[in-house]
Amino acid sequence: MAYARPCGDFKTNYAQDMAILDIRLYRVGFGLLLLGLVAAPWLVGRWVFLLNDIAIFAIGATGLSLLTGFAGQISLGQAAFMAVGAYTSWFLTTRLGLPFLVALPLSGVSAFVVGAVVGLPSLRIKGLYLAIATLAFQFLVEYLIVQTVSGMGGTPVPPAEVFGVPITTEVRFYALVLPIWLGGAVFAANLVRTRVGLALMAVRDRDYAAQVLGVNLLYAKALAFALAAFYAGVAGSLFAHYNRVIGAEHFGLAQSIDFIAMLVIGGLGSVWGPHLGSAFVRTLTQLLKIGAPFIAAWIPLLGKATTSFREILFGVILIAILIWEPGGLAMLLRKLKRYIDLWPFPH
Amino acid sequence: MTVQFLLEGTVIGVAVGSIYALIAIGFAILYKSTKILNLAHGELVLFGGYLAIAVASALAGYLPTGVAFAAGVLATLAAAAALGFVVERAVMRPLFGQPLLSVIIVTLALGYVVRGVMVGLWGGETRTFPPVIPAQVVRVLGVPVPLVGLWSAVAAATLLVLFSLFFRYSLWGIAMRAAANEQLTASTLGVSLKRVFAYAWAFAAVAGAVGGILLGLWLGVNFALGAVGLKALAAVILGGLDSIPGAILGGLLVGVVETIVGGYIEAYVRVFGHPLHGFKEVTAYLVILLVLMVRPYGLFGTEYIERL
Repeated sequence: MAYARPCGDFKTNYAQDMAILDIRLYRVGFGLLLLGLVAAPWLVGRWVFLLNDIAIFAIGATGLSLLTGFAGQISLGQAAFMAVGAYTSWFLTTRLGLPFLVALPLSGVSAFVVGAVVGLPSLRIKGLYLAIATLAFQFLVEYLIVQTVSGMGGTPVPPAEVFGVPITTEVRFYALVLPIWLGGAVFAANLVRTRVGLALMAVRDRDYAAQVLGVNLLYAKALAFALAAFYAGVAGSLFAHYNRVIGAEHFGLAQSIDFIAMLVIGGLGSVWGPHLGSAFVRTLTQLLKIGAPFIAAWIPLLGKATTSFREILFGVILIAILIWEPGGLAMLLRKLKRYIDLWPFPH
Repeated sequence: MTVQFLLEGTVIGVAVGSIYALIAIGFAILYKSTKILNLAHGELVLFGGYLAIAVASALAGYLPTGVAFAAGVLATLAAAAALGFVVERAVMRPLFGQPLLSVIIVTLALGYVVRGVMVGLWGGETRTFPPVIPAQVVRVLGVPVPLVGLWSAVAAATLLVLFSLFFRYSLWGIAMRAAANEQLTASTLGVSLKRVFAYAWAFAAVAGAVGGILLGLWLGVNFALGAVGLKALAAVILGGLDSIPGAILGGLLVGVVETIVGGYIEAYVRVFGHPLHGFKEVTAYLVILLVLMVRPYGLFGTEYIERL
């Protein structure tokens, strides 16, 4: 195996052809990334909270990328699925006394079931109309939360406990969330290469054509919604035990829209997209949150406008990045890879 | 449910609905001619409300209230149109031909910027217009309606007529309809698509701003006014995204349905003995879900016939 991409195709078996990381450079790079993520608590100190934040939302965004990026169905209800997972986890751990490690997959499963049901209208309703139908679902879930469990305030959730160890510190939570994050990411990256993933992409490109070619449309669309909901449910359960208080405002429309923003900034239809997008959006949000008071102290003229200053800057950066590279960050990554493959020649 | 309840609901619903319809038209015009779903529309409403109040109250000390108000409205309309042109030129034109979802997210980011600037400049608390219209109650069909509500309904109706006359008879209105119908053909026949898009944005911004002023007269302007944008979006979807009559009917329907059905459920329906507070806000979306199940392209939307 070569370090760089050889000039020509020297793959001699299917295993080589199917490999995601097909040259040594990529493997070394990915290995370094993994090493960096594992060593992160020692490297970044108290900034681990940012990685936890990114990880939770990257899991949710991965689900949405399967639904929107690969199956082509726009959903404005990802945060609502997250809420389903979060409240299932809350119910199972506090009311039924189940251990967290049982509640976590079960909250994914409950969201999976809800997702399959919510996905059914997608057979008839398409495109932007479907987006509004999922918006209706989003509002209904918010309404239910406010009316039944949480009211306008929040519901306290106990910290997670894994094999008797309470997950109370940022580093311990990181140790919990990292394997789930990586596992989810690898599963999604492999899923899109299988029969199921190819079926989803066929549905995205032209659903009736896919049906003619033998894709079961009902099954594929319901599965896409259910998968997206599963990821969101797991993310919701993690969020509930990380944040320790959940309420309607954590799973509002703004969060659903944030998920879509992550996806578009990261790059649609790319396995790297949701992770890059989540890292970008969450880092920007947190940095602006931390930095806004400093900017206010620095330029006193801004004064009371700092909170809105955060919003403005976020919007401006979003606009700039999409005008500059509408394909998102994953497209930049692809360009970089191509540059390395072709180096030292321009093309 | 008494006849009185129905009648009251209908009158109030039509008054609110006519404002929704006006805002919804902004959506529909923009979608019809540029195929962009503008998620910043709620913020354009906010923009109109805030700016008109700011100008009107600034001038109120020097001029009679009515004149100050008129000046505020005119200034706001001009500013909204300018904003529309600027947005089209600076933000949307570089993104021409890019994936739909990227463009939608850009409008969303634009909404963040506009809202951030508004709230940063004028703060988050509710602001009201100087008293232009006396706070009295008139009776329509025996139903008490605030005079402001009547005024806004009349203003909305007038503007709806003006808009439809513009699209029917003026050269630019016809050009915009042509471009909406078939972009490529229209551009070969000499319609400047750039200019059509610019006008579409300006129109959307003006329609939103007028909606903001009318709602501001009625309820005052605060942060939450941006959420009206979503109601208007719901109205457009109900009527069919690319249909202007659909947007009008959708807006009126959303107004009436949420007042009558939502009001009825809030007042009389109990689930396990609990009243359903705030159900009004959700009603419109439930109705839309039901309508979409029967007619996936809204009531009057163009059905996209797929051929393989």
